[in-house]
Amino acid sequence: MNRKRALISDTFKVKKRRNGTQKFGAVSDGDGPTDIRSTLEYLATLFPRKLFNDSLPQIVLKHQLYSIHDDKTLVDKELNKLREQGELLMFQLGFDADAFGLVFAADYKSKVLAGEDGRATRATVERFLAKLLSPCTELSFSKDKMLKEFLFTDSEITQLVKSGVLTVRDAGSWWLSIPNSGKFTKYFIQGRKAVLGMVKKSKYSEVLKAELEERRTTSHVKFHMKYHIHDIVGAELVESIPTTSGTLLRFVDS
Amino acid sequence: MILALKAGLDDPLRLRRAESTRRVLSLTLNPDREVDRIHGNGINTIDIEVVEGRYMLSGGADGVIVIYDLENYSGKLHYTCKSVCTVGRSNRYVHKFSVETVQWYPYDTGMFVSSSFDKTMKVWDTETLKPAEVFEFEGNVYSHHLSPIARKHSLIAVGTKDPKIHLCDLKSGSRIQVLQGHRAEILSVRWSPRYEHILATASADSKVKVWDVRRASGCLFSLDQHNGDKSKAASEAVNTAHNGRVNGLCFTGDGLYLLTTGTDDRMRLWNSATGENTLVNYGKVSNGNRKKLQFAVSRGCGPEFVFVPCESSVAVYAVHTGELVSTLRGHYNNVDCCELHPDYQELYTGGKDCNILAWIPVLRSPDVEDEPKSANQAAGAPSSVNQAFQDAWSSDED
Repeated sequence: MNRKRALISDTFKVKKRRNGTQKFGAVSDGDGPTDIRSTLEYLATLFPRKLFNDSLPQIVLKHQLYSIHDDKTLVDKELNKLREQGELLMFQLGFDADAFGLVFAADYKSKVLAGEDGRATRATVERFLAKLLSPCTELSFSKDKMLKEFLFTDSEITQLVKSGVLTVRDAGSWWLSIPNSGKFTKYFIQGRKAVLGMVKKSKYSEVLKAELEERRTTSHVKFHMKYHIHDIVGAELVESIPTTSGTLLRFVDS
Repeated sequence: MILALKAGLDDPLRLRRAESTRRVLSLTLNPDREVDRIHGNGINTIDIEVVEGRYMLSGGADGVIVIYDLENYSGKLHYTCKSVCTVGRSNRYVHKFSVETVQWYPYDTGMFVSSSFDKTMKVWDTETLKPAEVFEFEGNVYSHHLSPIARKHSLIAVGTKDPKIHLCDLKSGSRIQVLQGHRAEILSVRWSPRYEHILATASADSKVKVWDVRRASGCLFSLDQHNGDKSKAASEAVNTAHNGRVNGLCFTGDGLYLLTTGTDDRMRLWNSATGENTLVNYGKVSNGNRKKLQFAVSRGCGPEFVFVPCESSVAVYAVHTGELVSTLRGHYNNVDCCELHPDYQELYTGGKDCNILAWIPVLRSPDVEDEPKSANQAAGAPSSVNQAFQDAWSSDED
């Protein structure tokens, strides 16, 4: 039987209900209580430390977690719990209103203090960090707060901005930031654009995840391929479709 | 479970809720049910009347309004919902430009209200299809809503290109109140189904405000996506509900929660009493509409579901957990509106491809009755297949 034209029933797509969704090809595990911490640690290993000469703590983006765990609300709740316990710090990265970077508090402290070694601003930064990790769940600070709650003077605030721990947000308020993270942001955006371009240029704008990981990366992509893949899947810039030959990533036209 | 119901252990409401949930989860396009194709242009809005659930109104981009009869009295499985009457281009009083919102009068089908881009809102008499009242405005009317539970007032809230919300009174035929507070055009207005004086409005300035119409001073509160945590947002985005235009509003059936969608591709769930963002993360709900988006929430199901039009498909999310349950694909172009039939759990969606599609729950296949074995042993094991259906034709050797 030669079927040149699609059947009407195909257009209407009457699907049979599968009891217990059978996900073939999808790697994501859904075992028991979702362990966010171990996912964070796994994603942190994908971060290239050598690229920045070990001066940056390992940064994981919040939406990378969404690509591994199904329930976004649950991920958000767990992250808030870790932040309240003082183990995790969240930063507004600046290039996207929704992109938040996560760093373990211990990592952050050690890297910042290592960077401050021998500089005059070290004492102020130490004081700020001590206040910060007490625990603090804020992403930005206003002048009022700095002066009254934290008891910093104007010149000390200038020192903090100089050392990179605070970034200007607008007149009289500052974002919490990671020192020397400018390079990270630049490489990250470059790499993201390059990987997305790779998916877009493929035939039908889709590529198997396994194949994408195997591909030779151009000089623009400085991070591990998996780091970028988790990022574009979690930010929903590509659609992740389970197929019989593995997960397929299809570019989403928006 | 049926046994528990019979024994009186379970509330009959539980069975209703379980069955509604099962029906909602199995919505598909059914080739047996069609809606008459009258509109020559995209369909902007659909409304099903509350009283009987029998008649559906639809408003199109060409100004045409059509009334359909949804009930199936033909006895056949295949049924086309015929149009009962239309306000077509030949009618003297038809709207000049596209109809943006239509709504039945909440108490009977003798009257309906339609508003359109020709800057008017007309109150029509269904019998004669003539407008009984015409309200004129200065800007395009994006949305209007009549309170479904109002007893003490008969106000219509109207959102136009002006940043002011007008309240028009049906009884006197005049515009009696203006609510000021927004800074850009009002894309959507909605009365609460719980309190007859609470109104929620969504605007292109990224804010959603909740008003009590009895108060002369400003709004009760404005929804803030960061829940007052000023540190999370850039300083311009403080106190906004979304990072873009807010174009869809829908209360849940009990009126306790409010869902909003915006052009920042996000949908948020708010506690309607306190205005707090419940921070349920639905992921990317793609939304490119410059006008309002009409979406629907199920009522009376176990976990409530929200049906949101996303580009050319309708996404079904569980309201309180944020998980994407399924995507209903079938339209050829953007879907603009969707409405859930309250009693039958049927979804009607209309879009730019001039079609209204009906999504019907898949019927449960009849169970083969398991007779208790002990009763059989005396009578000899009966065959579960009826004698008439047994294959007496084909032989094993072929």
